[in-house]
Amino acid sequence: MSSDVVLVIVVATALVFDFTNGFHDTANAIATSVSTRAMSPRFAVALSAVLNFAGAFISLKVAATVGSGIVEATAVTTTVVFAGLIGAIAWNLATWYFGLPSSSSHALIGGLVGAAFVAKGADAVQGDGVIEKVIVPGLVAPFLAFTVAAVSILVAYRIVGRVRPGPVNRAYRLGQLVSGSLFSLAHGTNDAQKTMGIITLALIAHGNLSASHFDVPTWVIVSSAAAIALGTYTGGWRIIRTMGTRIIKMDPAQGFSAQGSGAAVVLAASHLGYPLSTTHVISGGVMGAGAAKRLSAVRWGLAGNIALAWVLTLPAAALVGGLVYAFSSIFGSGALGPVVVSLSILGVVLAFLGRRVARGQVLTADV
Amino acid sequence: MPAAAIDWGKLGELVWASAVAGIAVAIVFAALILGATRASDHRRAGQSTIATAYLTLAVLAGLAFAGGVVFGISVIVSK
Repeated sequence: MSSDVVLVIVVATALVFDFTNGFHDTANAIATSVSTRAMSPRFAVALSAVLNFAGAFISLKVAATVGSGIVEATAVTTTVVFAGLIGAIAWNLATWYFGLPSSSSHALIGGLVGAAFVAKGADAVQGDGVIEKVIVPGLVAPFLAFTVAAVSILVAYRIVGRVRPGPVNRAYRLGQLVSGSLFSLAHGTNDAQKTMGIITLALIAHGNLSASHFDVPTWVIVSSAAAIALGTYTGGWRIIRTMGTRIIKMDPAQGFSAQGSGAAVVLAASHLGYPLSTTHVISGGVMGAGAAKRLSAVRWGLAGNIALAWVLTLPAAALVGGLVYAFSSIFGSGALGPVVVSLSILGVVLAFLGRRVARGQVLTADV
Repeated sequence: MPAAAIDWGKLGELVWASAVAGIAVAIVFAALILGATRASDHRRAGQSTIATAYLTLAVLAGLAFAGGVVFGISVIVSK
């Protein structure tokens, strides 16, 4: 009975994480399209939500790799997963509040690392895996996307520089429809699977599924797809505004270069099996497309804040994950710890929402 | 940072593959715009030969862009 309760809490928390992943990362696919008026904000989030939903059904290969090579399999219990998810959700919400794009996947890894560290000690964390799958890609992605987008926009200006601006802008806006759609599809395929993997791992740990072959149940696929699509449709407007207008003021050619280069980098990485964050890639792309036109066009102070958020993602999510695990453990190894943590968080969220409703504010401001 | 944990070969492959793909997308799409716009301008000016040449450029660039999109979708699907 106790383990059933923990399982239900883990599944619910995983879906909440998936929802925050959706609204946090909406900006990756649509921010540049919205800011260059390639799409209206509502159409953009709706299209992105549909493609994220569809993307979640395309493949299940990533689902089987969640946490592998980073945390020892023996350290992964349902309570560790729960604490890791809370760490990731907390970081996603904090960065959303400040309008800073950051990697949801790195937050999830950080949460799991912190919880496993507190549960089983340093041996539970595979340092080489963290370097290979988090730190190196985190360093490579923004610089690579920056350079590719910078060269791309210079090449584009060179070729279409003498063409009438009206048709050029219209064409680049149309192009953004394609590049934004590819980004959304790639995001749905990649990120929804992480939640599917987490839920499936919990079901295996609970004994509902066989550990010998990794089969994701249909209800897990559908619920994960729905959660990420719903989160995407809700739209994390604070981050969309940062990515779309606050880093640089972009024209349609810059928007297409940022998105097109970003999509090329993400798909090349996927093809080679290299785990790059879509957030890091598109942020680097936006900065590169802006800096190539004029170095001072980029708000470097804001870019510095974003970089700081990336550096802090892993340790901050790990810290929260570790603290949640430690607090849960005070109540023993049963369901009481996760129940107390969940109810406490629910109480804080309801109090926060109640205060905002009382003030007449809404959670997601319109663009 | 232990260098052994880094697959330098794969990293190098990623850098050149991303650069080639990203810049190719930029060139192809810009060529598509250039070809379509110039073809329209020259057709209106009655210069049908030059218009046809630009139209050919636009069609080839359009096909290359569509091919890139199809390849991108196939990468997503096969992941």
